[in-house]
Amino acid sequence: MKCEAKTKKIIVLGLDGMDPSLTKKFMDEGKLPNIKKFVERGAQREDLVMLGGLPTITPPLWTTLATGAYPGTHGITCFWNQDHDDLSGIVYNLDSRMSKAEPLWNVSAEAGKKTLVWHWPGSAWPPSSTNPNLYVVDGAQPAAVQMSAANVDTEKFLVASEKIKKVIYKPKYINETGAGCVIEELEEDKFSAEDAKALLERHKRPSIVNIELDHTRGELSLVMPPYDVINSPIKPAEGWVNAPEGAKEFSVITDNGLTRRPALVLKNAQGIYDRVAIYQSKNEKEPLFELEEDKLIVNVIDKVNVNGNLVPSTRSFKVLEIAPDGSEVRMWLGTAYDINNDERWHPKQLYRDVIDNVGYVPCFSQLGGKNYEFSARVLQPVWQNYAQWQADALNYLIEKHGFEIIFSHLHMIDAQGHIIWSFAKEREDSDTDPLAYQKLIENCYIHADEYIGSFLHLLDEEWTVIITSDHGLVCRQDLPPLLGDPGGVNVRVMQELGFTALKKDESGNELAEIDWEKTIAVNTRSAYIWLNLKGRNPHGIVDPADKYEVEEKIIDALYGYRDPKTGKGIVSLALRNKDAVILGLDGPETGDIVFFLKEGNNRTHGDCLPTAECYFDTSISPIFIAAGKGLKEGFTTTRVIREVDLTPTMAVLAGLRMPAQCEGAPVYQILED
Amino acid sequence: MPLHQLDDDSFEEIIYDNGEACLVVFSRKSCHVCQEVVPVLEELEYKYHGKFGFYRVDIEEQKTLFQRFSFKGVPQIIFFKNGEYQGKLSGKVEDEQVEEKISNTLD
Repeated sequence: MKCEAKTKKIIVLGLDGMDPSLTKKFMDEGKLPNIKKFVERGAQREDLVMLGGLPTITPPLWTTLATGAYPGTHGITCFWNQDHDDLSGIVYNLDSRMSKAEPLWNVSAEAGKKTLVWHWPGSAWPPSSTNPNLYVVDGAQPAAVQMSAANVDTEKFLVASEKIKKVIYKPKYINETGAGCVIEELEEDKFSAEDAKALLERHKRPSIVNIELDHTRGELSLVMPPYDVINSPIKPAEGWVNAPEGAKEFSVITDNGLTRRPALVLKNAQGIYDRVAIYQSKNEKEPLFELEEDKLIVNVIDKVNVNGNLVPSTRSFKVLEIAPDGSEVRMWLGTAYDINNDERWHPKQLYRDVIDNVGYVPCFSQLGGKNYEFSARVLQPVWQNYAQWQADALNYLIEKHGFEIIFSHLHMIDAQGHIIWSFAKEREDSDTDPLAYQKLIENCYIHADEYIGSFLHLLDEEWTVIITSDHGLVCRQDLPPLLGDPGGVNVRVMQELGFTALKKDESGNELAEIDWEKTIAVNTRSAYIWLNLKGRNPHGIVDPADKYEVEEKIIDALYGYRDPKTGKGIVSLALRNKDAVILGLDGPETGDIVFFLKEGNNRTHGDCLPTAECYFDTSISPIFIAAGKGLKEGFTTTRVIREVDLTPTMAVLAGLRMPAQCEGAPVYQILED
Repeated sequence: MPLHQLDDDSFEEIIYDNGEACLVVFSRKSCHVCQEVVPVLEELEYKYHGKFGFYRVDIEEQKTLFQRFSFKGVPQIIFFKNGEYQGKLSGKVEDEQVEEKISNTLD
């Protein structure tokens, strides 16, 4: 099927985690002027809602948005897919080779339209068409361009003080208290550096086993991702070739503890210490660069030592505090990116073009959570800077390269959502200020508005602009009992119900290992339960003849389960695989049973229905706003707009054929007559 | 002769401030592979006297230094020149391997 084109140029501004409820709230309060302009000139629902697909997880839904196919059809069914050889294993699936559905960008490129796919975390990388009209940038992980390939050193936080006695470099530190970053004592970590490294590098590994016994290896690991902590004494400068009078020195340790950059704290003409200068060595006359308090410095070029090789890399810095008497310095160091790494750019010369004309790819940050200062002074401004760079890069490519179809994605809202949204509500285990965090959420949307505003000019240049997201994010209530976490095998509820058993050691202590001889079924990932079936699974104990009955027993048990804390049920919906076709979740990649948690019993997103709402007017729903050529102006529709409808709507607008597996329908109601 | 032992302060000074071309072996008294590797280094030290430094960090005594590098075990020999890390050798090693690495480091 192919229609006459209503527009020549379409850009999708995808903002991961953007929630129509919060957008409308802040827009109606006058805080999002650019989004308001798009809405006023556009055609969408009054409530800006798009009915979300399931599960409410990034890779399946961005794949749905690009193909018009449900997850059961395209086969990307959660953040991870199921390892069919091992029911406790999960397989990384931000890989286009795992999708069984044709993306619209292949159709448009093959139809002769110059097409750009920019960091789309759903079956975009590696490029799945060799057509020269197709340009693809990264998308092999959700966070940001370059993260999966060019990252050569983790982000860090440094505390230097006259009170600190020795240099300490603590790799992959998980700050559970939210305070400090001064390492008092070196205790044995319950979450080892090795575990933390696995967590940070999970996007680099094809398959993992993550047996979740509590939330620390699931949802909570996203609130407090590990980072490196540096502690250094501050002393009078000694042994320097060219240290100014009164300068004090400290050490900056990087590159897995292997590299030291000596640094000076310097005073101004009034005798106030107000600058930090980082040197290659004490023998150099000039510093590599200087830093001032509260100024974000992006993309300083330095060499990072990777296995003995010096790799030219970018790094960003922000000094949060320099004590006026020079007795203390606190400073953030961003992730370092190898500046010559063009692995995730297709064609590769696109990388050089962008960095030469727009600047190096800036890093993002994962610091924050309970630490308000990190959230407000590092996380947010660093993302704001990244979003500005991305807007500049996309506008540069639009102007210089003549792209006609652009699929773009920005992770800024989702990335901050996991780290700070939950603190917008009072928490028993945290003394954070909910109102301050609510203001951070508002700021995040204001930054999203600035990003979207960078593309407002396209409406006057015959472009069609679609603003959308995969899912929203909620400021959750308490965490639910352990069921439905997307990151691995959820043991506890299924164990309580008698379906999952753990192995024990000689003393009877449980091990983080499934006892397959006693396990009837496991819940892996956000929404799926697999029976341990004879003949199908390596250690199967359920007779295939009993499968139907066992499924029924599990479904009944899920509905009957009561949260011991509240006495209330937690499962809203549980279906057999064949019945889950009504949700687009049947087929071999989901599970024998598909289930979702109830509203109010959910994580930030991923485990509940897309209609769930929560505290501070947050919701799980994705957003849909469309404006420009080919669309009605200032129009609202009551039509339910589904995620599968984006692709066919774009196909109709651009006069393209429908992708092969498309299951959605164009949103006829918003199209210009 | 026993290798010169480093602590947090002397590590900073010798490796980074002096920028000496050297190796540092991280070892533990109770580790039998370390007991085989350290004497190899002690013999080599004599040969390279004045040209290349040989140092030792006892990981029981210097826990912060050990944790800093996220080593998965001992012995680990790390090589430096001009304050820059040049690479490492892990586990049981023969003198030829160490000499080859020293030669690469000095190049």
